[in-house]
Amino acid sequence: MMARHERFSHFRRHLTFAAVLALGFVLAGFPGAQAALQVRVDQGVTEPIPLAIPDFLGAGQSGKDVATVVRADLERSGLFRSLNPASFIEKITDINTPPRFGDWRTIQAQGLVTGQSSLQPDGRLKVDFRLWDIFGESQMVGLQFTTTPENWRRIAHLVSDSIYERITGEKGYFDTRIVFISESGPKLNRRKRLAVMDQDGANPVFLTQGDYLVLTPRFNPTAQMIAYMSYIQNRPRVYLFDLETGRQEVLGNFPNMTFSPRFSPDGKSVVMALETNGNSEIYIMDLATRTSKRLTNDPAIDTAPSFSPDGKQITFESNRGGSQQVYVMNADGSNVHRISFGQGKNGTPVWSPRGDLIAFTKITPDYFGVGVMRPDGSGERLLTHGWQDEGPSWAPNGRVIMFTRTLQAGAGGVGAGSQIWSVDITGRNERRVLSPGDASDPAWSPLIQ
Amino acid sequence: MIASGVLHVMVIAAATVAWPHAIEQSEEIPSVVPVDLVTIADVTNIAPSAQETPKAETPPEPTPPQPQAAAPPPPQAEVAPPEPDKPSPPKEEQKNASAPPNPVRPRRKPAPDQQKFDVDTVLALLDKRAPKPPPAPPPPPNAKPAETTVKGLGAQDAFTMDLKDALLAQMRECWNVPVGAPNPEQLIVQVRVFLAQDGSLAQPPSLEPASRAAAAANPYMRTAAEAALRAVSVCEPYKRLPPNKYDAWREIVMTFDPSKMIGR
Repeated sequence: MMARHERFSHFRRHLTFAAVLALGFVLAGFPGAQAALQVRVDQGVTEPIPLAIPDFLGAGQSGKDVATVVRADLERSGLFRSLNPASFIEKITDINTPPRFGDWRTIQAQGLVTGQSSLQPDGRLKVDFRLWDIFGESQMVGLQFTTTPENWRRIAHLVSDSIYERITGEKGYFDTRIVFISESGPKLNRRKRLAVMDQDGANPVFLTQGDYLVLTPRFNPTAQMIAYMSYIQNRPRVYLFDLETGRQEVLGNFPNMTFSPRFSPDGKSVVMALETNGNSEIYIMDLATRTSKRLTNDPAIDTAPSFSPDGKQITFESNRGGSQQVYVMNADGSNVHRISFGQGKNGTPVWSPRGDLIAFTKITPDYFGVGVMRPDGSGERLLTHGWQDEGPSWAPNGRVIMFTRTLQAGAGGVGAGSQIWSVDITGRNERRVLSPGDASDPAWSPLIQ
Repeated sequence: MIASGVLHVMVIAAATVAWPHAIEQSEEIPSVVPVDLVTIADVTNIAPSAQETPKAETPPEPTPPQPQAAAPPPPQAEVAPPEPDKPSPPKEEQKNASAPPNPVRPRRKPAPDQQKFDVDTVLALLDKRAPKPPPAPPPPPNAKPAETTVKGLGAQDAFTMDLKDALLAQMRECWNVPVGAPNPEQLIVQVRVFLAQDGSLAQPPSLEPASRAAAAANPYMRTAAEAALRAVSVCEPYKRLPPNKYDAWREIVMTFDPSKMIGR
């Protein structure tokens, strides 16, 4: 009995010991008892993400060329920084095995792009690539493209788009083209030609020979058709240019000047301005039936229309309020209201393909700049500031804007000229777009189908 | 994770100590288990308790004129806030955990009357971690919550502010804010971070459930979430955090809010 009692007592002591010990630990700062520290991080940096992009594997030059274009694309976006290949520790020899993530972390890479190009038995070029998350130690995307060898630049742009989209969450814009006005010759006898090139300035092609003045070219949603204004036979009118056939045609049979054309989001119609007796109004023309309808009716100048991406609204510029400002109306012309109230005049509004912003040109006595505002006119921000920055055009992802920058002539007229520049909608990463000679009035194509 | 494992081990150990013992064996297992527990307890718990120990040493001087127990505790709590700004003395005394008992002993004298419990062994163990004079009257298990609660009112605030400042100073260099998305001010992401005592990540950072769901549904949120997770990894190791306050920063929920980084 005694023994049993002692044993029970012994057991109780141990039980108490264990329970109290456990309780003591819990109460003495075990993490479960300690609430997580709450921290609100509201400051950071906006720096390019460092990526390692070694030359793609494969015989010949194509792997190296593709990687070079990918590096250039991503760097130009301002969102990525391509690390110096000389710093790479691991030499990629097989893109089908995971890289040594530690080696890439050591050189501060946050992403790694590995790729391989090869010529197929049928003569086509095949390019595989993988994007690796260095910290997550996982593959973020892996794709394969096949095309004719001459098309290798497009493959490179598609690779860039895939990387851009996977990391930023929005579509890329590298597999796109730009239509613009190429300018050459003396100031008093300027030769202006319609031209297209890849968004990185490669593959420039002149569409017209400069016999007639051309202005304001705009792509249709399939990037196969261009609407623009030309002074053919000294009659300024809107024309259509079919890139596939090279065929041009005048749009509509209006007695007076038509200008400032732009396609609707579905590509089935074109909005433009029609001038009559010193007054211009906005019209919309159905491309299938070639019937037109007037949308504005005001003695002031209404011009530069641009559809919202959903096709329900149109932004345009008008001086009906006494000065050149940005307005918005429904697609049928109703509910016209002014949205720009900032300093100076504001014109050439263009609705973002994303729908969230309207880009415009700000005109003041001291400078021209390109800015953005929300469709209700709020949140106006000036992105660029120059002697003459004007004519914004959106990248298809609504993230980047191209515009014309005209340089002020220095002494003796030296240094004057027009260039195409681009800027991120954050106002960062302003850079010149390479073009053959002077260039103006760029219009970005949609992503090529 | 480590601590969680420790608790599991401990609970299992406690069970092994108690129940199996009831069944048969009794003497060998207890002597083994506490070794692990005490060792880990030293690591995890001594820091906070040791810091408060020195605070207890300074008050004892005014204590004599105020023999009653009710009065002394409040001043300690109020004095506490400024003290955390001087972390060096606590560290020293923490290391000399065996030495401090000398000044503390006088206070222990009245305590023994109340310490006539069946858990003498446990008290001995806990006393090593918390040789604090004021909470001596109550039983040891209550001593801990008293420490965090009483001292936390003032000291924790100032201290956590310092911690947050240190973290923010580091995070702002690592967080690459995705400001180009539409409505970027809405891309708020919460990440839970577990740190090891050396400031390294104890495990990969993870999205809080709401952020994880949002990231799965929206590519912009996914981008924001990945940027936040990347920031946590890029910032490793977190060397600006005081090691002796490890318990306060071992688990962190970081809320990444880009609204102040927009609209230049």
